[in-house]
Formats: sequence, structure tokens, C-alpha cells
Amino acid sequence: MTVLDAGPLARRLAQALFVLWGAFTGAFIALYLLPSDPVTLMLAQRADGPSAVIDPRQAAAIRVEYGFDQPVWRQYLTLLGRAVHGDFGTSVQTRESVSHLVTGALPQTVGLAGAALLIAVPLGVALPVLSACSRHRAVSRLVDSLPAVGVSIPSFWLGILLLQLLSFHWVVFPATGNTGIRSIVLPALTLSLPTAAVIAQVLGRSLRSSLGSAYVELAKAKGASRSWIVFRHALRNASLPAVTVAGLVGGNLLGGAVVIETVFARNGLGQITVNAVTNEDLPVLLGLVVLAAAIFVVTSLVIESVYPLLDPRIRRS
Amino acid sequence: MGPNLGVLETLTAQDPATGKVGPGLASSWTISPDATSFTFHLYDGVTFSDGSPFTADIVKANFENIQKLGPTASNSGAYLAGLTSITAPDQRTVTVAFAKPNIQFLQATSAPALSILSTGSLAGTAADRCTGKIVGTGPFILSSYIPHQNIVLSKRPDYKLAPSTAQHTGAAYLDKIDIRIVSDVTTRTGSLLSGQLDATNAVAPQDEARFDGNGFSVISRTLPGVVLSLYVNEKKTILQDQNVRLAIQKAINRADIVSTLYSPHYKPATSVLSSTTPGYTDFSSQLTYDPITAKRLLDSAGWTVGPDGIRVRGGQKLALDVIFGQPQSLELVQQQLKQVGIQLNLRQLQISQIQPQLVAGNYDLFLGNSSRADPDVLRTLFKQFAIVGSDSPALTAALSKQAESLDPAARQQAVTDAQKIVVSNAHVVPITEFAQVVGQSSKVNGLSFAANSSVRFYDAWLS
Amino acid sequence: MNEYASAAVPVRRRALRVGGGLVRAPGLTLSGLLLALVLAWALVPGRFTSQDPLLGVTADRLRPPSGRHPFGTDYLGRDLYSRVVHGAAPSLKATAVAVAVALVAGAVIGTIAGYLGGWIDTALMRVMDVLLAIPGLLLALALVSAIGFGVIHVAIAVAIVSVAGFARVMRAEVLVVRNAMFIDAARGGGARRGRILLTHVVPNAVGPLLALAALDIGSVLLTVSALSFLGFGAAPPAAEWGQLIASGQTYLYAAWWLTTFPGLTIALVVLATNRVARALEATAGPSW
Repeated sequence: MTVLDAGPLARRLAQALFVLWGAFTGAFIALYLLPSDPVTLMLAQRADGPSAVIDPRQAAAIRVEYGFDQPVWRQYLTLLGRAVHGDFGTSVQTRESVSHLVTGALPQTVGLAGAALLIAVPLGVALPVLSACSRHRAVSRLVDSLPAVGVSIPSFWLGILLLQLLSFHWVVFPATGNTGIRSIVLPALTLSLPTAAVIAQVLGRSLRSSLGSAYVELAKAKGASRSWIVFRHALRNASLPAVTVAGLVGGNLLGGAVVIETVFARNGLGQITVNAVTNEDLPVLLGLVVLAAAIFVVTSLVIESVYPLLDPRIRRS
Repeated sequence: MGPNLGVLETLTAQDPATGKVGPGLASSWTISPDATSFTFHLYDGVTFSDGSPFTADIVKANFENIQKLGPTASNSGAYLAGLTSITAPDQRTVTVAFAKPNIQFLQATSAPALSILSTGSLAGTAADRCTGKIVGTGPFILSSYIPHQNIVLSKRPDYKLAPSTAQHTGAAYLDKIDIRIVSDVTTRTGSLLSGQLDATNAVAPQDEARFDGNGFSVISRTLPGVVLSLYVNEKKTILQDQNVRLAIQKAINRADIVSTLYSPHYKPATSVLSSTTPGYTDFSSQLTYDPITAKRLLDSAGWTVGPDGIRVRGGQKLALDVIFGQPQSLELVQQQLKQVGIQLNLRQLQISQIQPQLVAGNYDLFLGNSSRADPDVLRTLFKQFAIVGSDSPALTAALSKQAESLDPAARQQAVTDAQKIVVSNAHVVPITEFAQVVGQSSKVNGLSFAANSSVRFYDAWLS
Repeated sequence: MNEYASAAVPVRRRALRVGGGLVRAPGLTLSGLLLALVLAWALVPGRFTSQDPLLGVTADRLRPPSGRHPFGTDYLGRDLYSRVVHGAAPSLKATAVAVAVALVAGAVIGTIAGYLGGWIDTALMRVMDVLLAIPGLLLALALVSAIGFGVIHVAIAVAIVSVAGFARVMRAEVLVVRNAMFIDAARGGGARRGRILLTHVVPNAVGPLLALAALDIGSVLLTVSALSFLGFGAAPPAAEWGQLIASGQTYLYAAWWLTTFPGLTIALVVLATNRVARALEATAGPSW
């Protein structure tokens, strides 16, 4: 029976808050101190596209409107004060509230990442298990080599390749769009393969080491079948690092989604990110960085609380 | 040039075929002989989609609002530059007066930037309007708008009037229009081909062949205004030499650029203005590909071919910096200029970095274009922003004259003179005309283009 | 390409063992050969292709692969094989700069944190936690947005993203030595701490740091390519691999080869790098 100690929990939360504050501050330093000029950019685009020439006086007036003319420390405190209340200002580009923009796009990206995870986890677990259970060296060597290939393929190129084959050449899935289950298949598949490869690599490594351990030898001596050993003993022990990795992967799915959404022209955080970078939309970028940190923090907290349920050793201690 | 949504309307409407300005929300107008004062007579019985009536006071409030916004409304602000007074003597009459002759204002009243919003929309903030809270007098109502994602329009059943440029009157044919914002060209092509869309704008030239027959077709219109050009910074010593400027002009093989990168819907530039701009005059004889003359001009300017094929004079290399936001045609221009011994350094900049460079004059050439269906676009380019660094008195005179000329023939003459001066002195080096190319399935009928080459939905229907 | 040069020193002792491994492992041999080839592409591209990567024959544009153009031609009639060969230099340069900067910066941060300890250690490591909390690509994008586009800017952004891993490894190595030093110090001679630290830590840390660097090369190349694919890398007409894919993407319907060959190149180079890195990790030192 575990009794939750307030100490560690408070410490965890403090750490989580620190990470959020650090992400905000770091992003602020990078974005607001370095030379970039979203205002002239926005004006140029609104006027006539990138080749237009705009009036510096107009730019100055808008800079005042957005507070870009204030001293940096004051901008920082104002923004931080607002951010604490969940207000990240308005996009310089679309003039929409950043929190509205981001939360509006979040479901699309979370849906994509979730779908990718649904493919990646079974695939990432199946590969090393298949390899461990197989009696044929050739089969397990082939299966073992797949994750290495999976982590080496640029995901944006994989997306293009799948598009070419399954959408243009054989019209199996629609090229794009945000509607219907079919439109999510190709992007989710693209996002899931590198993820599955990472899971398979970690799980495979720990599966091999636990298969060599003493109690597995004991079970073997008792005459247990190979698959039985894999499923009953080794997999459970090996699942621990894989759970950690899956948590990290969850955060990185978000990063991967940026590129994949661009390739498949899906709406979502990815598209907002790329737009924000191209347009130097500082408030939006700041909001995105903090959101990413928040997702990471929450995922880690959840994983840490799931951990004891999986591993009897931690539960006991 | 995106679609012309048909939610908002303008006082006048410009005929894309003739460039003539005809009735819109205003049935008629008079211009004072000195072209400083414009009086519009408004149609009676027009209402906004929220039921409120369209009146002269609302027109006045709209223009005053643009003046007040000034800085944030760059385009519309420029159209109203020099405005001295707006008066509404009665609910059907508006008079707009300027300090100087300003004939371009008539065409400006047909531009989307001077669209008329309802009182309710005007009361909202500019930010509200940018996120889609707008109400107008047009045949469509904006049902929803998600930035970067989609726009949904629905028909306004009680719409009665139609601008002079429309093919029918009364309500629009389409009940609902779902506009998706898809930034990737391949995706747009794929979505049209797979039936997810009925039409798409900005078709990539290499994909046009996909829409030839087989249930699809392509329609297009050339963008009006200043064509895609190299704006020459004549404050630079090398480029003050007209021979060098003309050599650049003659070393560019416009036909090769169009056939390599574009399609027959795009045209080599034949003047500094595109062929769909009112007042355009054909100067194609001066814009032919002539590398031999280009080399001779450079020889006579004292630039001799160096060991690496790039010309030198007094130890200085003939290397020019071009700044731009979007690439492609320049890689080919770079190859072509190299053939006559000019080295072109491509400096692709973040769009926001371009502005400071222009202000500082820290460039030799700037790849630009400027879209507007009125020749006054040249005056904006050469006068309002001194980016070309040319202060030719003859050009300034011609551009002022066109702004003052009430008589169409006199204005045309002034515009022709201005184009001739720009082209024959290579103050600007024109490259290609741009086109709005729309791919559509055979179900789609009646899609058309406005004078600014945006797509109009009002007359469209699905079979 | 500094890490290759310095990697040669500690590895030489084991050269015989590695050499034996090469024969027994054909995958590793092929990987090594491929990397050597790509490095040669970056150093002397002219030796591998006689065609101009920047100058094309417009009449020959969008030609499929053939004897004359093994990878086909692009939208300006330029030879794609030549562009891939010449694209090796900027792509590898960005990767090398990113890994080298991350390695050096990480080593410095890790040393300071581990040696000084206390609140400085805590502060530095919490900053590293923050870096790890944000998805690499998103962080790199935000940084590129702030410092500007271009090969070197992309490399620096990716370096900042990867610095945390190196800092952690270096700190762990410093702590091991520092703890041992306390025992030494108890015996006297505490004044020489700083020098001992350098003479003891550096040789011990080189192995793990280089192994981590080698493992990082592949993922860094992928991130750099992704950023250049998104259009934030080198200015045209120069061609990074990621950019080649991006410019080919608009021609998916018209010319499949424009995306296929550069993509295959990136995938094979990353695969080969990871294979060699794992071999180095197995031979060049204990894992941490």
C-alpha cells in the first residue's frame, strides 16, 4: 500500500511550473530580443503580397498598437502577466486571439497524433515480440532491421511517397482534407512509422536483455515454451522503458505533425506553426512553445503516475 | 488574388473586358472638371444582409473609418490619399473631394479595399472584421470563417440589385459555397482531380495539363497592374548607366521563361503594365530577347569579359544583387544574364527583411509586381515610394498628367508616354505577366473574373 | 567535420577490431562506403559529375531518369544527380556545424554544472530540462524564426535543440571524477583540483560524447532536412537535399523522380550513419 507523500508531489508540480515558465521565458528571449519584424511583414502581405513596398509610418503605428515599441522588460512582464491568465495576445497576422487560434487547431493535431499512436504502439510492440518469438534467425534478423530503416526515413518524404503511391497512382485514399476517417489514414500512417520504429528499438533492446536474465533461464529450464516466456515474463519487464519512450514520443508526435500536416495540407497546429514562422508571428510562436511544454509536462506527470501500476518492483518499494 | 467573395460590394464596378467603370451601389456619378471632386448618386432600396438600409451616411462613415485606420489599411489608405472632405447632402448623395486632381479615385471605388460595410460591422474592431464578423450588401452572406482553414458563404435570397458587370440580377444561383484554404499546389490539384473540390484557383502551370478535357477545364485571366519586374535601384552607380540597364532588359529571354516555368496562360511582358491593365500599350518590340545587342551595350559601357565569363571594368566585377521574397523565375534569369557576362546574386530574404533593405537602398534590383486595374499604379510605384531611384522629369510629368486628365484620350496618351519612358530607359525591367488560373470540373458553369482577376461566384452554377 | 578527425584518435587503438568487424558485417561495410562516398561528394563534387548543378538546358526540362541524366532533370532542365551531389556539401555542413556546436556547448555547460555544483548546477540542468520539454522540430522552428533563415542559422537552431543531451552526459562524467577527487583531496593536494579535473575528465568524457555525437548525426540530418524542406534553409539556386524534395513536391504529378532520389539519399545516409554510430558505440567505449 502506497501512501502519497505531499513532498514529492509538490516538488513535481513546482518542477512542472518551472518548465512552463522556462519555456515562456526562453521563447520570449529568443523571439523578442532577436531582430524580426512581424509588423512590416503583415503590412506588406496585406497590401499586395511579398513584393509590395510599404510605408514605415504605418509600421510604426502598428508597433505601438501591439506594444512592440515598449521597453523589453515591460513587454515581458505584460505578456507573462497575461499568459498566467491563459491570454497569449492576438496574432499579428490574422488578428485572432492566440489561445482561440491554437485551441481551435488542437483537436485536429491531437486526432492525428492519436491515430498515429494507435498504429505505432501495436506495430512497435509487435516487431520485437515477433523477432523474439521466432525460431528462424533469418526472420528475426529481417524484423530487427526494420526499426533502423524506420527511424532513418525523413517523415516528410515518406508522406510524399505514400501520397504518390496510394493517392495519385492507385487512388486508394484522398490526398488531403480534414473530413472523414479516410483522410486521416495517410498522414497518420506517415507519422506512425518513425514512432513505431523508436518504440520497437527500445522495446527490442530491453526484451533481448531480459530474455537473457536468470529467471528466464529458470523458466526455460522448467520447460516453458519460448512464446510463453516472452509474453509472461520478459515483455512485462521490458515494457517499462517502452512506456517512458512512448511518453516522449507523444511529445514528439506534435513536432512531427508540423511537417506531416504541411505535406498533407491538413489544418492543425502544424500549419499554424509554419505560418507563424514564415510570418514571424511572435505571439503565436510564444503560445505554441508554451503549449508544447505544457503537453510534455502533463504527459510526464501522467506517465510517472502510471509507472507504479506496471512495475511491481516500484510498487513494493 | 483570391476569390471575390461577393459579401461586400463597392460604389462602382469595373468591367474586366473594357476596364470601364460602371454602376455598382452608385447608379451614376459626376466628376468636377478639375478631377478633384467626385459626387456619387446611390441606388435606392438597397439593404445590408442584417436588414439595415444602405445610405449616404454609411458610405461617409466607411471612408472616414478608412482614413482613421490609415496606417493599418495600407491599400485603401493609398486610394484615399489627399482626401479633404466627404459630404452627404442627402441620403442618396455622397461627395468626396481631394486637394489635387485624382482621377484614379473613380476606379478605386470599384476596388475591394473600398467595399462598404454595414454600420454594425464598422462598429466592431478591425480585428473583428479580420476574423470574419462582416456584413455587407452583396449576394452572399459570410456564414463562418476560420483563418487559414475555410470560409463558408451562403446565398442571400432577398438580394435584388446586381452590379453592372454581372450577367444576371436577383439572388445568386449557388446556395452555399465552401471555400477551403489549401496552401499547397499539388494538394489543390489532387483534391480537384479526386472530386473533393469543384474548382480551385492558382493551379500550378505544370498541373494545367491534368485539367485538359477529362471532365475538367481551366480558365484564366492575366493580373492587371505592373508586371513581374526587376525594379532597378538607380541610386547605384553601375545602374545609373542606361546601357547596363538596357543590357539587362535585352539579355532576358521572356519567351523561354514562360515556356519553361509557366504555361500558355502566362505571357511574356510586353510593357511595364500588363495587357489587362486599362491604358496598357504594347512595347513588345523593345522587350525582345537580344543578347548580341546586350553584349554590345556592355562593351560600349566599358565592361569587358573577364576570365570567368563575368564582365569587369576597372577591377570591378559586373555583379548585381537582386532581393526578393519568392524565387523560381530568377534562377532562370540568373542563367540568362550570365550568358552576357552579368553575375546576378540572388538574395532571398524573409519578407520582413526586404522592407528595411529597400528603405536603406541596400540592393541593386528588386523583384516585384504591383496589382491594380488602373494605370495610376505606375504613379504609386514611382512617386509614392522612391524605390527605383529614378527622378526622370519627363516621367514625373507624364504620371502627373494622367492623374489630372478627365478626358480618356488625354489620359491614355499620358499613360502611353509614361510606359514608353519606363521601358525605353529600362527604369524597370519587365519580365512576365502573371495569370490567375482556375481549374474547374465540368459541373461548374459561369465562374468569371473581376477586373482585378479575382474569381467571382455570383453568376456561377453547378449542373 | 571536426568530430570525424578527433574520433580517429581514440578509435585507432581499436582499428584492428573494427577492421575485422567490417568483413563480418556487410551492412556496416556498405554503410561505411556510402558515408565515404557522400563525404567525397561534399568535398570534391566535381569529381563525381561533370554537369553544372545550376545551369540547365531548358529544352530538356522534366526528363525522366536516363543514361545521360541518371536521376532525371528538374523544372529548369538541370541534372538532378548533379544537384544531389552538390547538395551534399550544404546538407552535411549544416549537420556537422549543428553537431559540433551542440557538442562543444553541451560539454562546456555540463562541465560548469558538474564542477561548480550547487545552485548553478540546478539552474543549468533545469534549463536543459526545458529544452528537452519542447519537441525538437518545433523549438528549432521557433529559433529559426527568431534568428533568420539560411544554412548556418538552421544549423545553430538545431544545435541549441540538441545541446541538452551532451550537457547531461558531460555533467555525469564530471561528477564521477569529482566524487573521486574528494577522496583524493582528503589525502591532500586539493589545489590541483582544476587541473586534475581537466586531465581526468576530458579523456574519460571524449568516448561517450563522441558516441552520442555519432548517434545524433542521423537525427540532426533529418531535422536539418525537415527545416530546409519547409523552406527555411539555403537560398536558391543552391540545393540542400531537403530543399530539393520541397521544390520537387509541386511537381509530384509531373515528375516523380524530383522527390524520390533526394529522399532516398537522405534516408540511406541517415541509415548508414546510424549503423556506423552503433558500431562505434559498441567499440569506442562504455555506455553511460
